[in-house]
Amino acid sequence: MLMIRAIIRPERVNVVLSELCDAGFPAVTKIDVMGRGKQRGVKVGDVFYDEIPKEMLIMVVKDEDKDDVVKLIMKNAKTGQKGAFGDGKIFVSPVEEAYTISSGSNGL
Amino acid sequence: MKEIMAIIRMDMINKTKDALLKEDFPSFHCKKVMGRGKKKVDYSMLEGLISENERMSPMLAEVISEGHRLLPKRLLSLIVEDDQVKKAVEIIINTNSKGNQGDGKIFVLPVTETIRVRTGETGNEAI
Repeated sequence: MLMIRAIIRPERVNVVLSELCDAGFPAVTKIDVMGRGKQRGVKVGDVFYDEIPKEMLIMVVKDEDKDDVVKLIMKNAKTGQKGAFGDGKIFVSPVEEAYTISSGSNGL
Repeated sequence: MKEIMAIIRMDMINKTKDALLKEDFPSFHCKKVMGRGKKKVDYSMLEGLISENERMSPMLAEVISEGHRLLPKRLLSLIVEDDQVKKAVEIIINTNSKGNQGDGKIFVLPVTETIRVRTGETGNEAI
């Protein structure tokens, strides 16, 4: 199992969530976060704004589904044809175990 | 070291907190999150409410009906030593399990390093 953490633009969340649901990955957790990237935030005049609001989507998927989910998020979170700075990042990390609380069963 | 990430119901946080404290897991952090699971939630009741209740503000109705329909949950995260994982998971399952869908999920992730900011200690002593 792999955990996919995607930090994306708040205005793209709706699109990404509905596309994920249509593709058969409904389970997702969303957190409001603030952050900056390699560009050190947004420069307006002489001021750097370095706490830019973003949304983090967390999902845990099977190993073989990872590529599909990452591709889907990338396709839908991108702004414009080429994409722009600030479209976000996707991180993938291993998950050793998963439990469903209601039944106590092991696995996704 | 392992990180136990549990997504539980909003109203269960106090019970879980107490249960973890009793079994000697005092340290954790938690956050309000929004989420959805594998099962589709039946919103027909809400839609009926919106169409019947004309006094409801149009903005609120829009948020409920048009939004991406995520439910509020608590994300609980605690870092424990390898041999404590089973115990902590059991406590969380036992306190939160009501046998209903939406009770939540628990994920166990590997953690490579822990550092205590105050002293700079690393490893198991820092947990």
